[in-house]
Amino acid sequence: MTGILTSGLEQGLVFSFMVLGVFVTFRVLDFPDLTVDGSIVTGAAVTAMALTNGWSPALATATGTLAGFAAGTVTGILHVLLKSGSDATNYGPKLLAGILTMTGLYSLNLRIMGLGTSATARSNVPLLGEPTLIESIENLLSIELTTWRLIAALAILALVIKLVLDWFLHTEVGLAMQATGDNEQMIKALGVNTTVVRIAGLGLANALVALSGALVAQTQGFADIGMGIGTIVAGLAGVIIGEVLFGSRSVTWVLFSVIGGSVVYRLLIAGALRVEQIDPTDLRLLTAILVVIALATPTVRRKVVRM
Amino acid sequence: MNTRVAEPPKPGSDHDGLLVTNMRKAFFPGTPNEVVALDRVDLLVHPGDFVTIIGSNGAGKSTLLNAIAGTFPVDRGSIVIAGRNVTREAEHTRARLVGRVFQDPRAGTAPSMSIEENLSMAMLRGQRRGLRRGVNGNRRREIQDQLGLLGMSLEGRVSAEVAKLSGGQRQAVSLLMATIAEPRLLLLDEHTAALDPKVAQTIMDLTGKIVMERRLTTLMVTHNMELALRWGNRLVMMHQGRIVLDVGQKDKSGLKVADLVAKFHEVAGESLVVDRMLLD
Repeated sequence: MTGILTSGLEQGLVFSFMVLGVFVTFRVLDFPDLTVDGSIVTGAAVTAMALTNGWSPALATATGTLAGFAAGTVTGILHVLLKSGSDATNYGPKLLAGILTMTGLYSLNLRIMGLGTSATARSNVPLLGEPTLIESIENLLSIELTTWRLIAALAILALVIKLVLDWFLHTEVGLAMQATGDNEQMIKALGVNTTVVRIAGLGLANALVALSGALVAQTQGFADIGMGIGTIVAGLAGVIIGEVLFGSRSVTWVLFSVIGGSVVYRLLIAGALRVEQIDPTDLRLLTAILVVIALATPTVRRKVVRM
Repeated sequence: MNTRVAEPPKPGSDHDGLLVTNMRKAFFPGTPNEVVALDRVDLLVHPGDFVTIIGSNGAGKSTLLNAIAGTFPVDRGSIVIAGRNVTREAEHTRARLVGRVFQDPRAGTAPSMSIEENLSMAMLRGQRRGLRRGVNGNRRREIQDQLGLLGMSLEGRVSAEVAKLSGGQRQAVSLLMATIAEPRLLLLDEHTAALDPKVAQTIMDLTGKIVMERRLTTLMVTHNMELALRWGNRLVMMHQGRIVLDVGQKDKSGLKVADLVAKFHEVAGESLVVDRMLLD
């Protein structure tokens, strides 16, 4: 039972940055961004390559995060090129921009992981024996990061990132970013270049996603090309579970909610894995069903009430 | 026909108004569906003028406002606002000079953000936005003062979501957002048409008060001839993309709705369109 709890908490916190990123695109920018399936791997791959080349874990993690920012801006620029007119509710070009970046990143990620090796591309980078952020923290504080201490460290990092994101979304630029997703025509009429704001927002969101990727690689000990599949659905699950369970009354509050949603989602997954009939390969189907249930519940409830 | 051709801006104060010269805009150009929405439009608006614009559906009233605001580029002609040629400027660039209120109360506000967040964003119209706090103490006080002027008891609800407000309250907030940073030009596009008569009256009174107090150069499009006669110091009638009548304060004060109808018959000769205008 503690196994479920600790692994759920650890995974939930590691992936909470990704869920915050998905929240920024889906909820703040009203941009269903599919880049994340690729950018989480980019974050992991860049960080892993930097670590194997002897970079310090902090610098490697920061570089991986920046690579995610770059991936997000590519999606933003593609969206500008693909959209026609200024219909903010036209999701087609938004989805396509994300799909294109994600697809391109697949090849790029393989290339990144092959850098400096005899192969041109690799699907996996092991980090066995490489110093990671975990060792850095252990050295810094001269303690051993046991399971619970690691969870505490991740919780502190999640809190810090949450506070920074909360602060940013309430700055002058942050309000303009919120308004870009809420009523683009209006904020444009107030003199904001919403194209630039959207590109920056997508960069920010994918930086958060890549940060999760960097931490996943360092906690599980490798980067892998397959680790990104289904990220968007898992992120959406975290956002929706968080909003439904903990509420979304204000931006400040909902940022806590989605971190909670991320943890609850990973606890559910960890629990599901203990069921004998469920195989790890079934998890994505379960996640998809979970998202459908969470999204359909309000609609179904409304219909039932009407009957 | 009483079309007045705009003269070049006189030295001095006229520089601060609006000068539209020989403007043309066609939609779907080069296709069988081509529509010339604006054709050879000349308009000189002196600073502080409050111009009401009437005309039937498709006369080009909203297109004129959209062209001035920069929603789309024009095919020909130039637009000078407060001495600045903005013809080629993007919408968000000239937004620092232009405040707008639309017919739909939902258009002018961000629904899931609070009243104070909306107004704080509006206070930064056209300014560089940085990493300072969006809603700070000074801005909040100013916002509460301004909301107090509306007389809608919104000053005590600054952190309420705008989506929770009624249509009239939302339009009042939109009006405040369009004017709080004192734009050089205020564009009102049938901004009371979607409201019920009593609320529309309140919003129109507020509009008049704000425009007078701040001496805002204003263009107001309306379907309603009564409104067009009662408000402003100048009246412009458009038809088929052109300005067909332009009446200054002196002549306007003597005008009645019947005179406008007659005038409209004279220039347009289409009784049907006039009936539509009267009904509104």
